[in-house]
Amino acid sequence: MTEQIKTDFDKIVKTSAFSEKDVEQKKIYLNKFLKTGFPTRKLENWKFSDLSQIIKKSIGELSFYNDYSFSNKVDTSIFVEGLEHNKIVFINGRVEKVDFTHEDHDKIEINSDFKFVNRLEHNNSLLSLNNAFSNKCYKITIKKNYSLKKPLVVYHSTNNKIKSKNINLKLEFQLEQNSSLRLIDLFNDGAENNFINIFYNFDLKENAILKNYKIDKLQNKNIRYSYNNIEQDNNSVSETFVLSSGSNFSKNEINCNLKGEYSSAFVNGIFSLNEGQHHEIRTIINHLVENTKSYQLIKSVLGENSKSAYQGKIFVDSKAQKTDGYQLSKAILLDETSEFNAKPELEIYADDVKCSHGSASGSLDENSIFYLMSRGLSYKQSKELLINGFLLDVVEKITDTEIKNLVKNMIGLKE
Amino acid sequence: MLKINNLSVNIEDKSILKDFSLNINPGEVHAIMGPNGSGKSTLSNILSGKKGYEISGEVLFENNNLFELETEERAHKGIFLAFQYPLEIPGVNTNIFLKTSLNAIRKAKGEKELDAIEFLKLVKEKARELKFDEEKLNRQLNVGFSGGEKKKNEILQMSMLSPKLSILDETDSGLDIDALKVVSDGVNTLRGKDNSFLIITHYQRLLDYIKPDFVHVLMNGKIIKSGGPELALELEKKGYENFN
Repeated sequence: MTEQIKTDFDKIVKTSAFSEKDVEQKKIYLNKFLKTGFPTRKLENWKFSDLSQIIKKSIGELSFYNDYSFSNKVDTSIFVEGLEHNKIVFINGRVEKVDFTHEDHDKIEINSDFKFVNRLEHNNSLLSLNNAFSNKCYKITIKKNYSLKKPLVVYHSTNNKIKSKNINLKLEFQLEQNSSLRLIDLFNDGAENNFINIFYNFDLKENAILKNYKIDKLQNKNIRYSYNNIEQDNNSVSETFVLSSGSNFSKNEINCNLKGEYSSAFVNGIFSLNEGQHHEIRTIINHLVENTKSYQLIKSVLGENSKSAYQGKIFVDSKAQKTDGYQLSKAILLDETSEFNAKPELEIYADDVKCSHGSASGSLDENSIFYLMSRGLSYKQSKELLINGFLLDVVEKITDTEIKNLVKNMIGLKE
Repeated sequence: MLKINNLSVNIEDKSILKDFSLNINPGEVHAIMGPNGSGKSTLSNILSGKKGYEISGEVLFENNNLFELETEERAHKGIFLAFQYPLEIPGVNTNIFLKTSLNAIRKAKGEKELDAIEFLKLVKEKARELKFDEEKLNRQLNVGFSGGEKKKNEILQMSMLSPKLSILDETDSGLDIDALKVVSDGVNTLRGKDNSFLIITHYQRLLDYIKPDFVHVLMNGKIIKSGGPELALELEKKGYENFN
């Protein structure tokens, strides 16, 4: 891999217009990545999902070179219908469209010359990889007291021009005081067998509200890693919803730093997996000051040979009295070959806190199925009704009604 | 309508029903009374298709071999079981469930499926008849319902589906007098020359409200005596132990 990656890197430097300074910086990140390579199960964070092996098995040799000199045509049929929204369109990792037509333009600042996310944890080799290889990236600032009128949908599309490639992309968001953003990530892959590596950094100032909904619904043979870092000042609220279903492998990491009093973080997730899929959600919620709150609810429905993992960490600093932290995970295993792993971690250094965690897994209740079938429903209908019912309360946690209904429609959940 | 011939049932070597036979004709109401553990609930489970039993003998429903029919096919053909312990199904809206159920059965019968408006009109009408709180129709199925409400919900489903054969498994247990009256009214409304009932109960009380044509006493997996409504009164006086 090392030779390949170096050759690809040189090729990118030659064909792109990076400044000398940027190239130097990128080289540092490249070397950092090369030192450790892709994460393996030896790392606690990756114990359920050996990315190095997974890439080797399902992709083989990865190519790191991407030609960003030509643009891709945007296929407008992927756009969500019946929902007015702003757009950012990525195709094969290249930003093809940034459209905030619904908003007041002096309230949003778009910086397309933003380069590195370097404030994040230092030992994440995938971040180094991302910084070394990602192309142009954007920083979006929502100005003080401004709430986006319409949601922003980020389309993550790939087409069949790429295969066995590593795609890196990132976005940085700053939400100034009293601002708010509803952000939907929609994954739409026409390409197969790529490793897609996504970093988001959010900076929430006082009273800011972020709602991020990640929808990976369409079946695809890609490996996806997505990292959200969320910094939160006083009274800010972050709500993250993950529908983890379409990719072959997917890991969502959410790292949340509750730095301001009365800030709160909500993470809700659904795994709906089938044949051979393997998905993970890893959260780290750092309660760093007094009176902060976090809530997490993760549910899995796992078909044949599928596997999900939820590693949820709640860290409470010694200063963070009156912390309220909660996490719960539940799984329905539809087959004896399905597997659910839960690893709750509570690291608490303060004494006046309320923290709890729970996890439960089991198969579909045969008595409930019998009850429904005795009313004329087929086995399939009964099973679907029970699964819908099981997942519905996670979707109900979505606080934005418009998006809640959108998500319900997308995943075929009926009220 | 229903012919049970020499039915024997075992669960893991334990014999539950022994050589059990019963004939129910269209329009008849049969009551089966028996002490705990006599095999009453097993009988109702088997008729509606619950798995996990070793069965020998024959059960015919309108000349169809019942054991060749899946649970939902039995429902399509008109068999309904009011559960002794109706299940709570979190996340499943009662109305949605009722509509799915009704339309599945109508479809199987070759009838037109009801749209949302037709359905709501019907369900509201039936709920009113049964004094069933309409607001509960929008709640999760049986979740947080009282024992009596759950039983009423069973009868509501029964009257929505108008089955040919309704099996009531201890529907009276857990009901107060008022609810018992309402439930009985629900059953009596459905009574007719084509609708039959098999009522399973411990007590004679329910039979004051729903007058049976036949009463059978079930003990140790066998019918030990059959007769008319007077048999229930006799049983009430003597108790099961001294009945033989």
